[in-house]
Amino acid sequence: MILPYLATALLVLVTAYSAVASFRQPRKSSAPTWIFPNGTKRSVQVGAGICTLALLLGVALWLTIDARHSIRRSSRFFIPEGYVGWVRIEFQVNGAPALPVEGGEYLFKVPPSGLLRTSSPEEFGWAKDHFFYYSEKGTRILQETGPGGGGLIWGKINGEESGSQGKRKYEEFFVGTEQQFRQQAMGDQTVGSGAPQTPAK
Amino acid sequence: MIPFLLYLAAGVVTGFHVYTLLMLAVLGAPVNPLELVSLLGSLGLLVAAYWSVFNPHAAARLALVAALAMWCFYGPALAHAITRL
Repeated sequence: MILPYLATALLVLVTAYSAVASFRQPRKSSAPTWIFPNGTKRSVQVGAGICTLALLLGVALWLTIDARHSIRRSSRFFIPEGYVGWVRIEFQVNGAPALPVEGGEYLFKVPPSGLLRTSSPEEFGWAKDHFFYYSEKGTRILQETGPGGGGLIWGKINGEESGSQGKRKYEEFFVGTEQQFRQQAMGDQTVGSGAPQTPAK
Repeated sequence: MIPFLLYLAAGVVTGFHVYTLLMLAVLGAPVNPLELVSLLGSLGLLVAAYWSVFNPHAAARLALVAALAMWCFYGPALAHAITRL
């Protein structure tokens, strides 16, 4: 929260300094001061070089740390065949089973209720997730596309809510056609015949 | 060295600040065009910082222009923040 104040303070300082330095008329006899230097010294150039190196190293370090934190394990979501509605996954729930990992990916087997609770923590960052309908006959992939692409996964959100058991992190997404997603977003709960009951939000 | 450090610090801090605001667009926040003007001003300050090593007076003029461009964003933002107090 200190960043906006620091930015504003520095901006005020730069505006005042550059205005004075731009319009000041130095006397010919007066020597340049350390506040308003006139020429370039070798030491200043070396100092500028060191500052640049430190700045570049800092940016490189920041990007490296940021890149390490921005990657997470991919996930595979298995949703009951024919399910239409919101799926909700609650993380860090005491007593709930941990998420199984297969082939380096988390497996989320969503029950017919659409609500899955796990004791595993939620991971954040970039990863490619996969969605499937599952039934006794096997699985079939659910495409995740942009608007107009014919996908069946919409409105992915991550959140945190406080309750009697403390803070709880969750993830939600909608399974269905784009039209069904828009209908329920407008308050129309008729998301398709034979759709299982959506979890309480 | 003073103008170099001042312009560099201001350019980096304001640039990072506006960058974090622009990144909110990922979450769906609308992008204010004045933020882009301010980011350009931060870039101008960085250029002025290195220019000040060779020509302090010309660099000061560039820094002033860059700072005024940044006030396009920081001015209204500051006024808005003060009126909300």
